[in-house]
Amino acid sequence: MAEAPPATRQPLILGEKSLGQVSRDILSLVEGGATPLWWTAFLISFTVLMIGAAAITYQIATGVGTWGLNKTVGWAFDITNFVFWIGIGHAGTLISAVLYLLRQRWRTSVNRSAEAMTLFAVLCAGLFPVIHLGRPWFAYWMAPYPNTRGSLWINFRSPLVWDFFAISTYLTISFLFWYFGMIPDLATLATRAKSRLRRRLAGFLSFGWSGSTSTWLRYETVYLLLAGLATPLVVSVHTIVSWDFATALIPGWHSTIFPPYFVTGAIFSGFAMVLTLLLIARKTMGLEDYITVRHVDAMCKILIATGGIVGFSYLIEVFTALYSGDPYEQFAVVNRAFGPYAWAYWLVIACNVVAPQLLWFKKLRHNMLVVWIISIFINVGMWFERFVIIVTSLHRDFVPSSWAMYRPTIIEIATLAGTFGLFFTCFLLFARFVPVIAISEVKGVLGPGHRHEEAGS
Amino acid sequence: MRTTDISIDRHELGGLAPLLLKLAGASLVAGVAGIALMATVGGRGLDRILQSWLVGFTFFLNLSLGALFFVLLHHLTRAGWSVVVRRLAEGMAALFPLLALLAVPIVLWLPRLYRWAEPGVVVHDPILAGKAGWLDPTFFTIRLGVYLLIWSVLGLYLFSRSVRQDATGDPRLTVTMEKRSAPGMVLFALAVNFCAFDLLMSLDPHWFSTIFGVYLFAGSVVVFFAVLPHLTHWLQHHEELLHTVTVEHFHDMGKMLFAFVVFWAYIAFSQYMLIWYANLPEETEWFLRRQSGQWVWFSLFLAIGHFVIPFILLLPRSSKRKIHRLLLVSAWMVLLHWVDIYWIVMPELSPGRVPLDPLDLFVMLTMAGAYGTAWVLLLRRRSLVPARDPRLAESLAFENA
Repeated sequence: MAEAPPATRQPLILGEKSLGQVSRDILSLVEGGATPLWWTAFLISFTVLMIGAAAITYQIATGVGTWGLNKTVGWAFDITNFVFWIGIGHAGTLISAVLYLLRQRWRTSVNRSAEAMTLFAVLCAGLFPVIHLGRPWFAYWMAPYPNTRGSLWINFRSPLVWDFFAISTYLTISFLFWYFGMIPDLATLATRAKSRLRRRLAGFLSFGWSGSTSTWLRYETVYLLLAGLATPLVVSVHTIVSWDFATALIPGWHSTIFPPYFVTGAIFSGFAMVLTLLLIARKTMGLEDYITVRHVDAMCKILIATGGIVGFSYLIEVFTALYSGDPYEQFAVVNRAFGPYAWAYWLVIACNVVAPQLLWFKKLRHNMLVVWIISIFINVGMWFERFVIIVTSLHRDFVPSSWAMYRPTIIEIATLAGTFGLFFTCFLLFARFVPVIAISEVKGVLGPGHRHEEAGS
Repeated sequence: MRTTDISIDRHELGGLAPLLLKLAGASLVAGVAGIALMATVGGRGLDRILQSWLVGFTFFLNLSLGALFFVLLHHLTRAGWSVVVRRLAEGMAALFPLLALLAVPIVLWLPRLYRWAEPGVVVHDPILAGKAGWLDPTFFTIRLGVYLLIWSVLGLYLFSRSVRQDATGDPRLTVTMEKRSAPGMVLFALAVNFCAFDLLMSLDPHWFSTIFGVYLFAGSVVVFFAVLPHLTHWLQHHEELLHTVTVEHFHDMGKMLFAFVVFWAYIAFSQYMLIWYANLPEETEWFLRRQSGQWVWFSLFLAIGHFVIPFILLLPRSSKRKIHRLLLVSAWMVLLHWVDIYWIVMPELSPGRVPLDPLDLFVMLTMAGAYGTAWVLLLRRRSLVPARDPRLAESLAFENA
C-alpha cells in the first residue's frame, strides 16, 4: 500500500461498492446457507463444547476435589480462565463505545462481531465462578434480596460480590448495545427475505423498523447515550476484577497499579482475539473489502499501545518491589522470574512484551499471516499472565512449611477447552444467522459517489 | 460544511507580544520581589521557599508535560480537529530547557527537601540504607537531567519541524513527526513515571505506590486542557487572533478536560481504595498524614473540587459549548491542579498543618512570569496556527456531530 499524502483520508471500504452489493456481500452466509466449511467448524466446536459439558457435569456431581487445588493454592485454574475470558470481552465494548466517542469511523467494519465476541466471552467467564461455588444451584444467593434464609446476606465488603454486580451490568449493557445496533440490519434482512418465516421473524426482531428520518434521529441519539454508558463499563469491570487480587495483602497481588493495568491488559487480549477471529472470518467469508488491511493495521497499533502499557506495568511492578525495601515483595518478584514457575513467567514476557514489538514494522502489520500468529501468541501470553499472577503469588506464601505446587487436572483442562468450544459455537451461530458487519453503518462510510442500483437494498 | 477563509485571519502575536511580555515581566518582578520580601521581612527560611518552589515547579512541569502529551497524541492518532490549537501546545511543550533551569534550586538544596539526601538520616534508617543506591543525590540529579533532556529533545524537535512546515509546506514533515512520535511516546511515558517517583514520591522515601506515576500524568493532562481554552480565548479576545478556533474546537477541549478529570479521579480512587482496604502500615502512613490535622479538610476539598464539581459541571453538552461556562470550569481546574500538587508535596514537609502562605503565590507568580516570557519569545514571530499543515482544512471544517 503506497503512502497516501497526509491530507487525504484513505477510504474505509474498498472495491467501490454499491449499496446493494454491501448487503449482498455481508448477508451471503446468512442468506446463502451454511457452507461445508461452516459445518466442519461448527461440528468441531460443538464436540469440544460437549467435552466441556461432560467435564462440568462430572465435577459438579463429584465436587471441587476433582481440581488440582490444595490448601495453599486455593485459587488457580478457574479464576485464571475467568479473568482471561472477561478480558477477551473488553475489545468489543472498547470498539463499539470508546472508538465511537473518539470518532474512529473505521470501527464500523469490526464492531458488530467484536460486540458479539464480548457477549460470548462474558458467558464463558461467568461459568467459572458459578462452578466454583460448588453448589451452582445456589448461584442466585449472590443476588442481594430480602430472603427467608434468616439474616443470610452476601458480603458486601467482598470484591467478589462487586464482580457479580459489575459483570451482570456489563452483560446487560453489552447485549443492549449489540442488539440495538443490529435493529436496522435486521430490518434489511426482513426486507430482503425470500421466506415468509424469515421475513416475519426478522421483522419482529427489528421492532418493525421503518427507516424514516425521525426513527434514525432517535436511533442515533440512543446509540450515543449507550456508548456514553458503556464506556465507564469497559473500565469498571476489569477494575473490579483486579480488586479481587489487589485488595488482598498477598505480595504480587497487592499493587495500586492493578486497576489500569488490568483494564489495559484486557483490551490488549481482547484485540488479539478480535484479530484471531476476524482474520479467519475475512478470509473464509470473502470480506477483504470490508475488513481491509487498514483495519488490521489500526488494530495492530492498538496492540502496540496496550501491549506497551502492559509491559510498562510489569516493569513498574518489578521496580517498585525492589525499591520498596519490602523483603516479601522482593521475594514474590524473584520467585516469579526464577522460581519453579519461571518458564511461565518468561513465556508471558516473550508473548506479551517481545512478540508485539514486531508490529512496529509496517511490512509485518500488513502480512496477515504474521499478524494472525502474533495474535495467537498474545492470546497465549495473556492467559499465562493471569496464571502467573494467581499461582506464583499463592504457592509460596508467608509460611515456607506450607509451600506447595499447583498442577491442573485433566478435568480442569477439559473445562477450559469446553469454554473455547462454547465460544466458537456461539460465534459460528452468530456468523450464520446475523449480519457479521453492521450493514447500515458501513453504508454510511462508503463515502460520496456510491451507486444506488436497486430499491430496498 | 463551514468554510473559514484563513487568509483574512491574522495569526501572529504581532502587537500583542509587547503587552504579553510586559504582563509576564510584571508577574516575574512581583514574584521575585514578593519572595525577597517574605524572606527578609517575613522571616521565611530557605526551607519554606524551597517547598513552595517545588510545588510551583511541579505545576509548570506538569503543564508542559500535558502539552507534550497532547502534541504526541495528536501525531500518533493523526488527529484532524486539533490542528488549529496545536501550535499553542507546541510552544508549551518546547519549554523544558527553561524548566531545567527552574529545577536548579531543588537540586542545589536537595537535603532540605528530601530526607534521604541527608547522610545522617540514612545511616540510622535500614530501609533508606537499602535504597541508598537509587536514592543517591548524584544519581538523582543525573536522572532528573535525563528526564528533562528527553522531554526537551522531544518538545523542541516537534516544535522545530512544525515551524519548518510553515515555511516549506512540505507534507512529508507531518509523516516524519507521526513516525517519531511513537517511540517518543514510549520515552515520554517512562520519563514521566520515574520523574514522579523521584521528584514527589521520594519526599516520603519509605512509601511506594505503583500507580503514583500514572496519577501525576493524569493531573498533567488535566491542567493542560484547563489552560488551553483560556489561552485560546484570551488570544481571540484581544487583537482578534485565532478566529480559526471555533466553538467546535472548544467543545472538544472541554471533552478532553472532562475525560481526564474522570481519569484522574479513577486513578486517585484506585490508589486510595486499595491502600485503605489492605490497610498495611507502610502504605497507609502516606494517606494518614493527609487525613490528620488540618489536612483532612484540604483532602476533602481536593476530592470534591477536583472531581465532583467539575464532573457535574462539565457533563452537559452545553457547558462545553458555551465558552464562558467552559472557561469558568477550566479556571477552577487550574486552581485545583495547584491544590493537587500542594496536597502531594506539603503534608510530607508540614504534617498536621496546612502552611498556606503568600509565599506560595509569589513563587507561582515568578514561575508564571518566567514561563510566560519564554512562551511569548518563542512564538513571537511565528504563526500561531500551523498554517500549512496538510490537515488544517479538515480542522477548520470540523464540526461535532
